[in-house]
Amino acid sequence: MEAPPVTTMPVSGGTINMMEYLLQGSILDQGLESLLHRLRGLCDNMEPETFADHESVYLLKGQQASPFVLRARRPLDRPGAPWHLRYLGQPEAGDRSRHTLVRNCVDIATSEVLPEFLQEMGFRMDHEFVAKGHLFRKGAMKVAVYKVFRVLVAGTADGAEPLSLSYLVELSVVAPAGQDSVADEVRSFAEQLRPLVQLEKIDPKRLM
Amino acid sequence: MGVTCVTQVPLAEGKSVQQTVEILTRKLEQLGAEKQGTFYVDCETYHTAGTNVGTTAQSGKLLYIMHCSEHPLSTFALFENGPCLVADQNLDVLMIKLKGFFQNAKANKMETRGTRYQFCDFLIKIGTVTMGQSGRGISVEVDYCPCAVPGDCWNLMVEFMQSFMGNHAPTVPPVFNSKHDALYSPADTMMQYMELLNKIRKHQQGTVTGMRL
Amino acid sequence: MFPQREEKQLESSLETLIAQVSDLKNSLGGLICKLENDYDRLTWPSVLDSFALLSGQLNTLNKVLKNEKTPLLKNQVIIPLLLSPDRDEEIMRLTEARVPVFSHEVVPDHLRTKPDPEVEEQEKQLTSDASRITPEVAQKQVQTMNKLCNNLLDKIIKEERDSDVGNLRQNKATYNPADTNALVVAVAFGKGLSNRRPPGPGGPMGPGQPTAGGLLPGATGMQQVPMNLPPNQQHMPGGVPMAQTGQPGKMPSNIKTNIKSASMHPYQR
Repeated sequence: MEAPPVTTMPVSGGTINMMEYLLQGSILDQGLESLLHRLRGLCDNMEPETFADHESVYLLKGQQASPFVLRARRPLDRPGAPWHLRYLGQPEAGDRSRHTLVRNCVDIATSEVLPEFLQEMGFRMDHEFVAKGHLFRKGAMKVAVYKVFRVLVAGTADGAEPLSLSYLVELSVVAPAGQDSVADEVRSFAEQLRPLVQLEKIDPKRLM
Repeated sequence: MGVTCVTQVPLAEGKSVQQTVEILTRKLEQLGAEKQGTFYVDCETYHTAGTNVGTTAQSGKLLYIMHCSEHPLSTFALFENGPCLVADQNLDVLMIKLKGFFQNAKANKMETRGTRYQFCDFLIKIGTVTMGQSGRGISVEVDYCPCAVPGDCWNLMVEFMQSFMGNHAPTVPPVFNSKHDALYSPADTMMQYMELLNKIRKHQQGTVTGMRL
Repeated sequence: MFPQREEKQLESSLETLIAQVSDLKNSLGGLICKLENDYDRLTWPSVLDSFALLSGQLNTLNKVLKNEKTPLLKNQVIIPLLLSPDRDEEIMRLTEARVPVFSHEVVPDHLRTKPDPEVEEQEKQLTSDASRITPEVAQKQVQTMNKLCNNLLDKIIKEERDSDVGNLRQNKATYNPADTNALVVAVAFGKGLSNRRPPGPGGPMGPGQPTAGGLLPGATGMQQVPMNLPPNQQHMPGGVPMAQTGQPGKMPSNIKTNIKSASMHPYQR
């Protein structure tokens, strides 16, 4: 067996200060086909991609007022694929001149011991859901159209039941901080999906 | 990568770290092993910042973040007896975000660097373990590439190690016991390095003076 | 050196323009073809797709025109060097047989940069009329005109808005803002995701309950989960999800919030 070559890479890496530019909306079940059709026309040519993920949201409580939140996603439809660990910062809606919600984000691919590891770090699971739907891309832009399912038996995705009669639609780009021009791109793409879906910057805190 | 054993070699009588490394590498070269560049493994220690409300179980536990040249795009995160998480390098970025909860004990950063050799199906890495500026010991890693089940190749590995380490060849690493018939993974190697580096650190913190390089 | 570079720039931007315009022309042709031939089995989404494509291409064309590297086309002068009454095959080919000859008759139409002589005459007349009225009268007329325009604009906007809403109702809305909000808070804070149905008699939990309960301990390391479910956010208007006060045994409040969250959600059966 041939030994792999030695590489000389920097010791620690990762991309610091990535921002997610996000718009959200929803589409009723009966409108789904039209939306998918439209997206197939607008997005990059590629095989239609579907996904089924199980997301668990973990909290780490410390002396700070607010707990540290991490999201762990496991693909249900691709056994053996890595888990996706995600940190999301506080969303900033900004003023009218800003076209999307902006939040800091860290995306990490990890091995499947993630839940045990998070427990060991002191994280406790807060809630979970299953997301099943379709994924489209246009350049760096990602369009996810998915149904959110309520998990009935903790830890398992089997038998999860749909939360509503709509699909959540998320239009997002992850880019280094300061590239606010991508927000305009996201906005103009969102315009092309009207009036099927109304994509807006929604600050979830305002809805609670 | 196959099955790997990580161990420490004590200093030869009256010799420095550097001299002992030279003695080892000379023996390897005499066997016919070929030099193949360099390698590194580094390990940073994080401890929980303050006491976490309601989660006493994990306070005082240490979290180790490691990197190695064999898997340059990965970051390994592990607990002393707990699971080892293999992730991409963005985990390093997450640790910065988590600094209110986990603090990097910068003084405890350890690494081992050295030369990588190949001898037939074996990869051998002889490294100088450093903490701060001073050399603290010697690490030897032997990787038997064609096999992934520790139980199937341990005897062969011991025999090979004896050929250049003499009676310093190690006993079965504890990680082998837990997965005698299971497949070996890179995380197991990092576990062994973490244990080795810890042992050296604890030993050093006992003795006051550093070692001659 | 300099003019040469400019010329190159002009040439390359013209090339891009021609490419964009021909793309646009092709898409238009495609749409017309669709409308003319497939009108009986044409679907709405497919027409919308065509429109979306056109809108995108128009956007790109505009971008090219506004690009700073594109020289000001207004400043370019076109002079007809050779006019001929004979049929010109080359021009036939270039214009897809729309212009067969490049003669004295058609050139003034195709290369025209000024209005028709009659229009020019009319314009002159208007200018002289305008110069004859007093500033006060002019001011008054401007105000009247502005008022009229504003009124008209308001009407159009209002009509547009009404018809948007009306259309949505007519075509059956494709989205429901309440659903959007429910989904967003579910994904962000886990609101409404509680996996515990409201307990007690009369609760909607069907015969599946014993099995579900029995399976729970089997989910390794997640037994505490139901305890930690999202009660916190519920009491948090506008706040970050705050730490629960660290009393894992605080069952009653938990149940209460679960009931609340369940009854609040319109889709819970």
